Amino acid sequence: MKIGLILPSGPGYTETFFRSKIEGLQKTGHQVIIFCTNNPENFNDCPVILLPKKSHSIVWQVFYMMLEYLKLLPYFKTIIHYVLLERQDGTTWSRIFKRIYNNAPMFKHELDWLHFGFGTLVMDCQNVAAASNTKMAVSFRGFDIGVYPIKHPNCYLKLWDKVSKIHVISDDIAQLVYDQGFKGQVPMVKITPAINTSYFLAPEQKNESDLLKIVTVARLHWKKGLDYTLQALSKLKKEGVLFEYTIIGEGFEEEALRFAVYQLGLKEQVVFKGKLDPKDVKKELVKSHVYLQYSVQEGFCNAVLEAQAMGLLCIVSDAEGLAENILDGQTGWVIPMRQPDLLASKIKDTLSLSKTEKQQIRDAAKFRVQQHFNIEKQQIEFIEFYKE
Amino acid sequence: MKKHPTIAIYSGVSISTTFIERLIEGLVEAGTHIYIFGSDSGKSMKHNNLHYVIHGKKWHKLFILIKYTILLFLFKPREKKMLDAIIDEKYTNKLLWQLKFYPVLYHQPDIFHIQWAKGLDDWIWVQDFSMKLVLSLRGAHINYSPIADSKLAAMYKKNFPKVDAFHAVSKAIAEEATKYGAPLERIKIVKSGLSARDYPFVLKTAVLEGTLNILSVGRNHWIKNYSLALDVMSVLKSKNIDFHYSIIGMDDNEGLLFQREQLQLKENVSFIKTLPFNEVQIAIKSADVLLLPSLKEGIANVVLESMMLGTLVISSDCGGMAEAIKPSQTGYLVPIRDIEAMACAIEEVIELPLEAYQKMIMNARTSIEKQHSTEGMITDMLDLYHEITVDNL
Repeated sequence: MKIGLILPSGPGYTETFFRSKIEGLQKTGHQVIIFCTNNPENFNDCPVILLPKKSHSIVWQVFYMMLEYLKLLPYFKTIIHYVLLERQDGTTWSRIFKRIYNNAPMFKHELDWLHFGFGTLVMDCQNVAAASNTKMAVSFRGFDIGVYPIKHPNCYLKLWDKVSKIHVISDDIAQLVYDQGFKGQVPMVKITPAINTSYFLAPEQKNESDLLKIVTVARLHWKKGLDYTLQALSKLKKEGVLFEYTIIGEGFEEEALRFAVYQLGLKEQVVFKGKLDPKDVKKELVKSHVYLQYSVQEGFCNAVLEAQAMGLLCIVSDAEGLAENILDGQTGWVIPMRQPDLLASKIKDTLSLSKTEKQQIRDAAKFRVQQHFNIEKQQIEFIEFYKE
Repeated sequence: MKKHPTIAIYSGVSISTTFIERLIEGLVEAGTHIYIFGSDSGKSMKHNNLHYVIHGKKWHKLFILIKYTILLFLFKPREKKMLDAIIDEKYTNKLLWQLKFYPVLYHQPDIFHIQWAKGLDDWIWVQDFSMKLVLSLRGAHINYSPIADSKLAAMYKKNFPKVDAFHAVSKAIAEEATKYGAPLERIKIVKSGLSARDYPFVLKTAVLEGTLNILSVGRNHWIKNYSLALDVMSVLKSKNIDFHYSIIGMDDNEGLLFQREQLQLKENVSFIKTLPFNEVQIAIKSADVLLLPSLKEGIANVVLESMMLGTLVISSDCGGMAEAIKPSQTGYLVPIRDIEAMACAIEEVIELPLEAYQKMIMNARTSIEKQHSTEGMITDMLDLYHEITVDNL
């Protein structure tokens, strides 16, 4: 089977999800081609085809477009089919010409599946698969279905009648798909994210020290709820709890978060580590006791899986997939989002647990991640996904 | 009559914020010669004492550069040489800095007054040419940028001790500046002036009937803490309070749009794009409460404006806000980042009898008229300028 995977960019070193998926498909004899706008880390485990660039100069842009249209002449039938489908949708001619240019490489390949890695990527390409008589799959992972439609209401309405199969990463994400007008027209398959469980492997005995070490691995983005987390930690500090909190990640909210740390009097307790590679993330997880993911929006969160696998006690919010990632009271704790007081109390409760109780939670979390969120399982699920 | 020093008011562009423009207007009318340097963003007024030395786009930039190169070469060759040495040492894009610096050196005002602290390092050189350097301590540049940006903090620590005088809009921001080495004795607090003519007071005769109309006005920035305001609105909604909350100046913030959706506040909260001055005034006048949930402010102008116009203010107790609001007399102050306290203050306002509301807004108007008059601001600024140039004039 030949599968075209559409991504924003070639998978980076840390993007286990796509790397392992591609590897799994190739192992079972499938061919994978990636279509993306750039490939900064030169991913080459499979062919990577870059989508046409946009020029700032109108003259050059027109030239590039003409060139691309000429190259599409051997695929004239497909293009005509595409134009008819777009016209049926009421798309203007200028937009059709732009879309033909933007999606040109996809028309040139005979594929069995065209799989859009994120819902937002399908917006201007909804008829490409049908024009090429290819099946279309779309993955929904969080932002694309939880946030994007707020600014673009009803953006997926036409998609539900065009897509052949939908992939979601959690039950909550599936619900969001239904909330956006999906009526079960095509199969929807849940395949949760997975991690390399042989790499993220907990030490036999978790290091216990007097100083509570808390960690979060997240982009510094509003959806990660780090401001609420810092408020909870400020409360904890006022109550006399000694701790150190490490934030691993970078992003646009850094200035706001550093200011919050300063204003909440947490300068001695909070360390911003910036973006780290998996090896260093693992080192930080080994040193830490509690993992926090108090997001306000979250598809599933691989970092929480990694933290569980590494034997950390995880406290997360109830944002979308997190409540499925952690089983409340069994493999960690799930608490309502945007309520820093509740988060602070839960951290305190966790500290008062006996060693045995803590170990039970850690063991259950590790076991569940190893059983249900390992790469091998995910690879098999994706092979099945395309088979059916 | 006292001779005033010549002053350059520098904000990088020819039209600046309302309050800087008001300062310029007051100074020229008081007989001070003011120079405006920087790039051309229009001219807000014409006056014989106001001198624009500004540059437009490509060709005009070239013209200005050639003109001042020749003028300096002919009339101030020694100074030009000194300045060129400074430019050579510090900058790679020499033409850009020559364009910015040459007109200032040629006109050589007695005082070079920088409005935004982040640019300070580029203008320290004016002191080598007998110009006094004044820095205004305003908002973001002092309140939070140096906290997250250690390089900026280091630049402030290096340069603040060299500045001849500081103008602070509040005591709070003055104290903040001392953390970066600004000597307290060189900081003068000159409160922003508002003209009573521009802010006609209307005594509300029917408020708090039906839907409570809550308003915030401010730019789309995390320091305004609108996220907390939405959490407050969620609390009000859970208590079945009939309200509508509008934010002017914010219509495209993904995080807030998401939060509004998630907290099911779409019917209760409106985001409105930036509006012109007169429309903002209308909105403030028709609101029952002006809400300022900010994390930090020098002193929020919108609060002063609201107090002048007759709309009750509930503000977080941040920065210099306590210098403008006397709790329960001229408005309400609540602790920063405190959702419950802000919700309680709103509920308290709902319970206020009309007479109590009216008394509070009248007190607020009187207080701002007294503390924030344009005349007071101009007199105080002229005092500041005279204090540092007394030996030169």
